[in-house]
Amino acid sequence: MAKITFAICEKSFLIRKGLASVIEKIPDTKIIQQIENAEELIVSANNCEADYLILNKKFTTDPKVKKVLSAFSGTTRFILLVNDNNNKVSGIYYDGIIDVNDTQNFILKKIKEITGKNAVIQKNVIPGEISKREADILKNIALGFSNKEIADKLFISVHTVVTHRKNITRKLGIKTVPGLTIYAIINKLIDIDKAE
Amino acid sequence: MLITKNIKMADVIHMNYFTLSALNRFGIELGFGDKSVEVVCKEYKVDPEFFLEIANTFVNKDYFPKKHLQTFSVKLITDYLQKTHHYYHKVKVPEIELLIENMVESCYTQKDNMVLLKKFFNDYKNELLNHTQREEEVVFPYTIAIENAFLNQNPDESILHMMETYSIDVFENEHDNIEEKLFDLKNIIIKYLPAPKDQRLCNKLLYELFNLEQDLNDHSRIEEKVLVPKIREMEKQIINNFTNR
Repeated sequence: MAKITFAICEKSFLIRKGLASVIEKIPDTKIIQQIENAEELIVSANNCEADYLILNKKFTTDPKVKKVLSAFSGTTRFILLVNDNNNKVSGIYYDGIIDVNDTQNFILKKIKEITGKNAVIQKNVIPGEISKREADILKNIALGFSNKEIADKLFISVHTVVTHRKNITRKLGIKTVPGLTIYAIINKLIDIDKAE
Repeated sequence: MLITKNIKMADVIHMNYFTLSALNRFGIELGFGDKSVEVVCKEYKVDPEFFLEIANTFVNKDYFPKKHLQTFSVKLITDYLQKTHHYYHKVKVPEIELLIENMVESCYTQKDNMVLLKKFFNDYKNELLNHTQREEEVVFPYTIAIENAFLNQNPDESILHMMETYSIDVFENEHDNIEEKLFDLKNIIIKYLPAPKDQRLCNKLLYELFNLEQDLNDHSRIEEKVLVPKIREMEKQIINNFTNR
């Protein structure tokens, strides 16, 4: 089974390390990246390879960070890290919230809930041919458009594009963009001359 | 069954022909008669202990003596990894390219698709080349410098500057998953390439792709489970030694 990967974005070294050691107690998880400041976050956000990015809520008050995250076009999902009870963050789609004051067991439970929920959704997808809508998305991926561009073209949210992408990859068993492009050409979703 | 130094080298190959590619990497040629593993290794100036561990990981998927492998010198390990790179570029990749070329040549009904496969693999080849080049030019020299500083009673402080700009953690983070595209290529051929196609060539190609993928997995396992922890431990020791001075 593939590992669930996490990136942690938090200024405090102690909290970062602490959270990493708690999460790694869950089997089949791995912390693949630790980010400590906003600049680094902006640089790595769009090519983040982790399944989940846990980020301190404070970063979202930085307008530049907010801009990057709200137009996010990768497949990573967000989890917020807070240290107060005021949890509202608008404009960014996130899957859950962890409070730094939570007990270890509570944090473990939350992480398992968040990752488990998505795992269940994944299981319910029937493998096989892709739907009409997914074919539209795939066509645009093969033509080289970003998630944001696809979202704008098809009048859907970036988050929906990301979900479609995950489902396409799971159904077809093809992970990379060049691989998806070949699939699209073979199945005549796009014209060979139009592909990059 | 584990291979030991007293077994005949010929029997090692009979046991599992995958060991052939290991022999190839160590530069050992066929025609060794009834000589034992130990004798053949000595003739070719190959460390028999190291050869045995590598050959055993080839024969038995579950056999991976991480701790024992970490006891070998960095030089020995990186030499082996470099030989493996060489094997990919000089043997494996050209074999696959030839098969794909044959598919392009012999196919009349879907030449376009075959040309696509060819381009896909060509891009992959370049990616693999960049990946191994980076290791040979940056990573391996760094690990050898670390080992030298570690073995030296009085290492030069320049090693600390080196460690500031690069560390094995950097390598671990940037070490990307080079097998992903191979996986895609396999699936495209298995599931999506429409018939009619030359089944015989397809099967051969798939066999080679599975083979290369497996080999790459073994290769990165040695990097990630043997080399990285070994170097990380040395880095720690070096820093400790400097702070305790």
